[in-house]
Amino acid sequence: MQAIKALGAAAPSTMLSVVKKGAFAPVVEKIRQVHLPAPKPNETRPYSPFQDATNMAEMAVARLDDLLNWGRKGSMWPMTFGLACCAVEMMHIAAPRYDMDRYGVVFRASPRQSDVMIVAGTLTNKMAPALRKVYDQMPDPRWVISMGSCANGGGYYHYSYSVVRGCDRIVPVDIYVPGCPPTAEALLYGVLQLQKKVKRMKTVQIWYRK
Amino acid sequence: MSLGKILALDKLTNFFNALRQNGGIKGSLYKLYRQDELKDGKLVGEDKYGNKYYENARYFYGRNRWVEYNDKVYLNYDGSQVPAEWFGWLHYKTDLPPHQDPSRPKYKWMADFTENMSGTTGQYVPYSTTRSKVEPWVPKKAA
Repeated sequence: MQAIKALGAAAPSTMLSVVKKGAFAPVVEKIRQVHLPAPKPNETRPYSPFQDATNMAEMAVARLDDLLNWGRKGSMWPMTFGLACCAVEMMHIAAPRYDMDRYGVVFRASPRQSDVMIVAGTLTNKMAPALRKVYDQMPDPRWVISMGSCANGGGYYHYSYSVVRGCDRIVPVDIYVPGCPPTAEALLYGVLQLQKKVKRMKTVQIWYRK
Repeated sequence: MSLGKILALDKLTNFFNALRQNGGIKGSLYKLYRQDELKDGKLVGEDKYGNKYYENARYFYGRNRWVEYNDKVYLNYDGSQVPAEWFGWLHYKTDLPPHQDPSRPKYKWMADFTENMSGTTGQYVPYSTTRSKVEPWVPKKAA
């Protein structure tokens, strides 16, 4: 419910009632990754974000979800998709100093075998259809990291006639990494944030609830 | 150069030192599981969130200062859990840890440190006056 409210005050009140019936797929997709309660310092944090199971069946699907999410977050393969100068920083996290391989993040040149797309750099109008096509070719649990000011909102080229003002106009974005360009550290932090997000996906639990 | 060093016995000593410091074999295995690393070092300080800060000059610059997060956060540790007071020391902006540095400003109006709240209900969402970019489709109800 909180996720729907966060979608914007502009959301019509009819939507809330529709969501309760489970008829409104895109919003339900949003709720699938609910926001967790804000963490308090000096509070014990268990591994799993799903701690509110009331019976054995819910407990079982929650643990299945944990297993699935563990597998997913442990091997996220980004699509090699460098558009501009941010791609140089993207190369840096693959290099020995930041070494993204230790998180199971390996660049994959084929969209059909990759999970994450890192939109690294300015997305021009000319490139936008290609980006969308590559995104459409990726298999389903897929995520997008928007890297750098240009991909986040146009950045320096916001008023250019040939640049898309943010890649979230083309693809749904999970993580925005700010910076121009972001450091390799920042991008790595973005990847870790995405892992956190993947960790609270409720795939099996939603299936069970249906 | 001593004979022990030639035979690399000091490496063995370091290893057993690290093993002892991290609480024996069981404790060391747990540390390895939790933070993928087994290091020995001098405890420099602890912040109010229970994170411990270590230093060992034997490791090369960039790896010689590190933080071990509070045991309570388990695997949910995050770089943003290092509070601002310790950030400077950890990133070599200063050599003085906060409890030894007399020149740190301390005012009662200074806000408490918070970690990165993104993805939780505590996250910062700016107040927006613009129309939402996304206009969701609401299906027509069958009359």
